[in-house]
Amino acid sequence: MPYLLQTDKLTKIIGGKELVKDVDLHIKKGEIYGFLGANGAGKTTIMKMITNLWKPTFGSIEIFGEVLTPKSTELLKRMGSIIEFPVFYDHMSGYENLRLHTEYMGYYHHGSIEKALEMLDLTEAAAKPVKNYSLGMKERLGIARAILCRPELLILDEPTNGLDPAGMRQIRNLLNMLCAEYGTTIMVSTHILSEIESIADTIGVISHGRLIRESDIKEIQQMNPDFIELSVSDPRHAAYVLHEKLRLTNFKIMEDGQIRIYDTSVNIPELSKTLALNDVPVNAIGQKAETLEDFFLKLTTEVNGDAKTHQA
Amino acid sequence: MPKLIRLEWKKNNIKKYMLITVVITIILQIFMIAMARELEITEPAQPGGKSMIRTSIDLFTHLIFIIFTGVMISAFTIDSYKKKTMDLMFSYPINRRKILFSQIAAVWIFSFASLLFCKLWLCVLLTLTRPITGIVTTDILSGALPYWLDMIVSSAAMVSISYISLLTGMLKKSSKTAIVTSVIIACFTQGNIGEATLSGSVPFYALLMAFALLSVYFSVYHAETKDLR
Repeated sequence: MPYLLQTDKLTKIIGGKELVKDVDLHIKKGEIYGFLGANGAGKTTIMKMITNLWKPTFGSIEIFGEVLTPKSTELLKRMGSIIEFPVFYDHMSGYENLRLHTEYMGYYHHGSIEKALEMLDLTEAAAKPVKNYSLGMKERLGIARAILCRPELLILDEPTNGLDPAGMRQIRNLLNMLCAEYGTTIMVSTHILSEIESIADTIGVISHGRLIRESDIKEIQQMNPDFIELSVSDPRHAAYVLHEKLRLTNFKIMEDGQIRIYDTSVNIPELSKTLALNDVPVNAIGQKAETLEDFFLKLTTEVNGDAKTHQA
Repeated sequence: MPKLIRLEWKKNNIKKYMLITVVITIILQIFMIAMARELEITEPAQPGGKSMIRTSIDLFTHLIFIIFTGVMISAFTIDSYKKKTMDLMFSYPINRRKILFSQIAAVWIFSFASLLFCKLWLCVLLTLTRPITGIVTTDILSGALPYWLDMIVSSAAMVSISYISLLTGMLKKSSKTAIVTSVIIACFTQGNIGEATLSGSVPFYALLMAFALLSVYFSVYHAETKDLR
């Protein structure tokens, strides 16, 4: 399958330290790619290489079917990005900063600046100098700048830093809209998993500079089956009842005392009734699915465990 | 390139530097008028046949504008790396060397024009105020070609020499280093110890110009392949 962006054994070594090693990313045209990883996992390093700010030590990056080289400046015309924190010329207004951006990008489209400002609720603040903006406003102005020239590929490194929940939702909706209406391909990194869960089509998980998983989000949801979560005051007695009276074996007592029953064919009213009849008061019961956070933690814990074993 | 230079001026608030140039010129004109007559009476003509007033105008304007250029180089280029606005610049579909050259050219053109303006203003002013100051020197303002050549070439040379501070500032990633370097250059080129001075020494200036060219070359030539850190 042709990918809009793909990397081949992408590696970055600085001062003898491997920041990123053998990363093979595959991003399809028109999808939202959630790039997950803890702080320091290597997300920003990879994004800096994709935007040509850093050069790979080994490996290659292919964007729009072309291999990225130090001279690939024309490719940057089709990309929008925020890497780390968006920076501005603080003495200039938000509008002037965006105007400057269009001048450098060679993009002259009547009304585009006003529209970008409007999309990010910055119309009223447009005339103020950026030095008077709050952190959240600067973040939003950074996103406005990134989308201003209608890029085909949008690279966003933790774009919701400094935003309140309403702002985060606004950005999620905006990314969805860009993807659906303009066919923009979006790569968005984050360590706040709930932020990406509802919008991403594909998830890439990076840990210690290595890409440990790249999956379709639907696949992940299928891999993480639903379960019944049971909250009781006496988990050991409840476990005895589940095993002896209901003949259940596929369940697990969690660290917080809750019980997860992975056999979802169990009838919940019958389950509560049996527990009650056997003197196990049920505080709460419900059917749930593993979140992306559970999936991410499981993956990174496995990798960390492996890494520690290798070190030992 | 002209568009890039114009944008550099715009985003670096060139009006601020225009104001500084005007303030420098006003301070220097007060200073020069105050000492003009004294210089003419007490001091002999300088090497090259220049009057002491002309020499003083060159000395003070060169001294100040070498440092002024160093400050501008710091603000336009070195601070761009420090404040990460260079990350933004290098994310544009423009050759990195072209971006850096536009910054260098923006500072050079402005500093050169400012220095020339300052010198000219002082010369015109001293000529116009002759009835008040009583000075009789005739070479303050002249229509002769060598006069204009000297003014233009010396201004271009002084601004160019300031670019040595670009490399030191870039190597240390420090605006202070760049400014201190330009102060040292100003002292070396314009200062004197007793009778000894390197001011006006053509081989010395040629050597500094060569250093300045190398400084620009080394600051720019790796830009395309270097990581932006």
